[in-house]
Amino acid sequence: MKEKIEQIKISAIQEINACLKEADVLNVKAKYLGKSSELNEMLAGIRDMSIEDKKIFGPLLNITKKELEIVVDEKIEEINNNVTFLFDETKPVYPKKGSLHPITIVSKEVTDVLKRMGFTVFSGPEMENEFNNFEALNIPSNHPARDMQDTYWLTNKELLRTHTSPIQVRAMMKHGAPIRICAPGRVFRNEDIDASHDNTFYQLEGMVVDKNISIGNLIYVMESLLKEIFNDDISVRLRPGFFPFTEPSFELDSSCFFCKGAGCNTCKNTGWIEFCGCGMIHPNVLKSCNIDPKVYTGFAFGMGLTRLAMMRYGVNDIRLMNSGDVNELEKFEIE
Amino acid sequence: MLISCNKLKQFIKNSENINWETIWNTFTIRTAEVEAIEKKGYDLSGVVVAKIISCENHPTKEQYHVLRVTDGTEECDVLCGAPNVRTGMTVAWIKVGGTIKDFTISEKKIAGVLSQGMLCAVDELGIGTDHAGILELPDGFPLGTDIKKLLPIEDIIVEIDNKSLTNRPDLWGHYGIAREIAAITGEELLPLQLLEIENNKSDLDIKINNNDLCMRYIGITVDEIKNNKTPIDMQIFLHYTGMRSISLLVDLTNYMMLELGQPMHAFDKRVVKNIEVGLANNKDKFTTLDQEERTLSDEMLMIKNGNEYFAIAGVMGGLDSEILDDTTSVFFESATFDAGSVRKTATKLGLRTEASARYEKSLDPNLAMISMKRILYFLKKENPNMIISSNLTDVYANVLSEKEIVLSKELLATYLSFEMDSDQVKKILNSLDFKVVENNDSYVVTIPTYRATKDISLDCDIIEEIARIYGYENFEKKPLVMDLSFEEYETIWNEEYKIKHYLATKFNYNEVHSYLWFEQAMLNKLELVKENVSLAENKENRILRDDLFLSLLPIVKKNLKSLERVNIMEIGSVILDGIDKRHIIAMLASDIEVAESSYYEMKEIIINLIQTYKKAKVELRDYNGFNYYDESYSKDIFVKNQKIGSLVVLKPKYASYVGKKKFVVGLEIDLTSYLSISKERINLLDASKYQTVELDYTLIDYNRQKYEIIESILASFEHEIINSYKLIDNYKSEDMDKYTIRYIVGSKDHTLDGKELNEFKQKFISYIKEKGLDILV
Repeated sequence: MKEKIEQIKISAIQEINACLKEADVLNVKAKYLGKSSELNEMLAGIRDMSIEDKKIFGPLLNITKKELEIVVDEKIEEINNNVTFLFDETKPVYPKKGSLHPITIVSKEVTDVLKRMGFTVFSGPEMENEFNNFEALNIPSNHPARDMQDTYWLTNKELLRTHTSPIQVRAMMKHGAPIRICAPGRVFRNEDIDASHDNTFYQLEGMVVDKNISIGNLIYVMESLLKEIFNDDISVRLRPGFFPFTEPSFELDSSCFFCKGAGCNTCKNTGWIEFCGCGMIHPNVLKSCNIDPKVYTGFAFGMGLTRLAMMRYGVNDIRLMNSGDVNELEKFEIE
Repeated sequence: MLISCNKLKQFIKNSENINWETIWNTFTIRTAEVEAIEKKGYDLSGVVVAKIISCENHPTKEQYHVLRVTDGTEECDVLCGAPNVRTGMTVAWIKVGGTIKDFTISEKKIAGVLSQGMLCAVDELGIGTDHAGILELPDGFPLGTDIKKLLPIEDIIVEIDNKSLTNRPDLWGHYGIAREIAAITGEELLPLQLLEIENNKSDLDIKINNNDLCMRYIGITVDEIKNNKTPIDMQIFLHYTGMRSISLLVDLTNYMMLELGQPMHAFDKRVVKNIEVGLANNKDKFTTLDQEERTLSDEMLMIKNGNEYFAIAGVMGGLDSEILDDTTSVFFESATFDAGSVRKTATKLGLRTEASARYEKSLDPNLAMISMKRILYFLKKENPNMIISSNLTDVYANVLSEKEIVLSKELLATYLSFEMDSDQVKKILNSLDFKVVENNDSYVVTIPTYRATKDISLDCDIIEEIARIYGYENFEKKPLVMDLSFEEYETIWNEEYKIKHYLATKFNYNEVHSYLWFEQAMLNKLELVKENVSLAENKENRILRDDLFLSLLPIVKKNLKSLERVNIMEIGSVILDGIDKRHIIAMLASDIEVAESSYYEMKEIIINLIQTYKKAKVELRDYNGFNYYDESYSKDIFVKNQKIGSLVVLKPKYASYVGKKKFVVGLEIDLTSYLSISKERINLLDASKYQTVELDYTLIDYNRQKYEIIESILASFEHEIINSYKLIDNYKSEDMDKYTIRYIVGSKDHTLDGKELNEFKQKFISYIKEKGLDILV
């Protein structure tokens, strides 16, 4: 019997080692260790044995069984560790991906910089009233700015905001001073559409009102913002401008990103690109928004976000922005 | 606006101290943007004053004359094709070796004559457009002298961006620009030369009906104007600054406008009777100088003469009062009109003129008088014997006098962020012609009237003057002081970005931007009528969208031309019940064959989104909304019993608009409702430490009911050990539907034993059978 057990063990180990697949090992396991295997029958026969035999064969059978189980497990592990893959790893992959609109990407970039300087991103409706869009911003009804900005008036006597500045008004009315907000938003002008004009485009507004806000603060914030956006050693120049809602008003130019100030087509050979309008908030605007201009001063700025996105991505036709053309828009990487 | 540096130099003492090419960089950052700088006449050389000694017809070519010309030292033959040559004429002769526009003149044999150089017309010299004949120089010009020494041919012409002069009426003429340059450089501005009038004759009959629209009207008549020829230097100036020279009387009015910014008008005195400034009658007709008949309205201010319309105030004169060749007596007008009124009239007539552009900026009434005295000064220079035949008649009801503004030193220091030395403050303001009286804590500043009409009315306007002349580039850059307790006032934008980013990265949706109004052609095609707020006075009658999904159909249609499947998203405004609302849309258009998976993709998105950001469950209920959506597949989306939006499927009838056999499904969610859902927190204490068990049951439904019925049956089976259950498989055969449901069961306080599991199983089986379903055991 001892020999027989030894025999079984040897042939089981041989068969196990000859296996190439896990399933084959399990079949061999069933054959030698399963319910109707010889070893099992022998184990079942133990109770009919003499005490001496029991003492010898009981442990032997159990040990053999254990040993075989270990061999089985080791073989399975060996097989699993040496799986060979049978596929062509050289085929191309076309990742499925969605996309964010370039305006969304750029406005995230700009607002992230401003958030680090303590600005909250604020929002307001695209359909505005005359007060917020004009009156509160020191643009009375006979002011040329109302002509200059060709307004879409609505049948309900409201209008489509012509700039993001009414968001300033809303923010000041709601939260008072001190306040620090920025606001990317869509604005509307009654214009004919061509490669460089659309009636619907984006601006970004920024505003700080606090005690002792100075022109020096404005210059600092604008220059830091531009340097962060362009990650570049650009220079900034401020020159007098005119907006009804700021006094003094400035036009902020940036050295041309393309020619670095040497002069090219983009900057009309001046070396400078008009980047945004800004200024110290006009006392009348603060008053309209229930803030005392004797106590508080502030500055505000507004830039063309659509224009910034076009410059950033080299888009030369504004019509792409509102085209909804997925083939083009999906090229913009999500960052 | 074009500015001649030669002209500026006449107004500034020691103008040679200024570098006239580079000063404009400083001018740009101190005053207004310079767009271009062009050097004129620098490419011209070798042109001298000469006299024609003899003039003979060419023997064979009759268009030519053979001229003998002298510059006082040498005589040469010159062939000339101009008709106006004659013996004794003083001319501009470009000699051999001279250059015009970088072209060198050489000796040339033409029609058998060896021509030594050329006689020049004004266009060849670059100082005019006329090519009808050669330029005749005044007799007194010394022979042989380089013409550039006698005439202002060399000049630097600067183009200033008109937009940047919007609020500076004083800068619409050369004198104002010169004043700025003087202030910037610290040089001295010279006073203007004027002709003082004795006023010992009688007044003209001038009446203003609307003093608010015409602040001042000055008239004068002058007779015996024999010389109506414009001096060459003035002609050159006009040409360089973009005006055409016509005659002295007309040119002088333009000259005043370019020099001082004051539009003037010269009428032929023969037609002038009495002048009345008043409003037009509605629908009257008037023919302007450009021979166009214009229709007037009762908001338009007119100059009337003997009850006839004479001119549109501040815009353009009429044909009847034009200066003619035989005009020797003239009526000069120098007036101030209301900016808004001129702007409205010019806009309404579509007639923007040099004059209206200036009046629109709010001119100083006091400038009208200076201009009048200066035009007379120039006229007298050319016509020493002219006779002033009337009083300088000045109708000026409300005199604009100089105003004082108090500027507190504290406010100035706040804006500048430093305390500027009071001598520097005074020096800057004085250089701009502002008078300053310093007090302990303030400056009292007197504003010249030419700055007070529009630009300067508040203390911060004066701060701007100080700051810009001080130089913005000299300011110290000061960081904002950061208050770390600042909290965000709102997070809407952040949330919008999060949702868009989620849709783009997790579900591969592409963000698009679309217009706020419906494409009318699409509505027409679909025979849908939308009643909503729309653009007023717009030809296209655009209706604002109340439904983002519908408004995006044209974009879907366009994209389906090149794509089989279009999946897009946007967060945009819609106008619903007169209110601007932000909506989120995710939209999918695909072939009708994959309708089910498309529908389930949408369902997954909404459930996933709400699960991720709100940790809440989504409930889909019957749809209540637009009738172009399929009423059975479209659902309203509820979270915590609040409606946040809809999952909509376009009816096939409308879906055919985007393409044949297309299925269009979308999620439209109201952002405000979405944001108002409070986020649930996961409470880990609820989790049991005891093992759970998975139990799979396959239910059989012979009645082929929708899953939601099965779901409602499952939902009402309650048992304390149920943790959760879900549908994991679904199989449909010819006569039955099979649903495999997986239950996860467990207890919070012990591990379940076989008996408990068996008891659960028996209860479940009998419950299911009671509900009319079968179960595979």
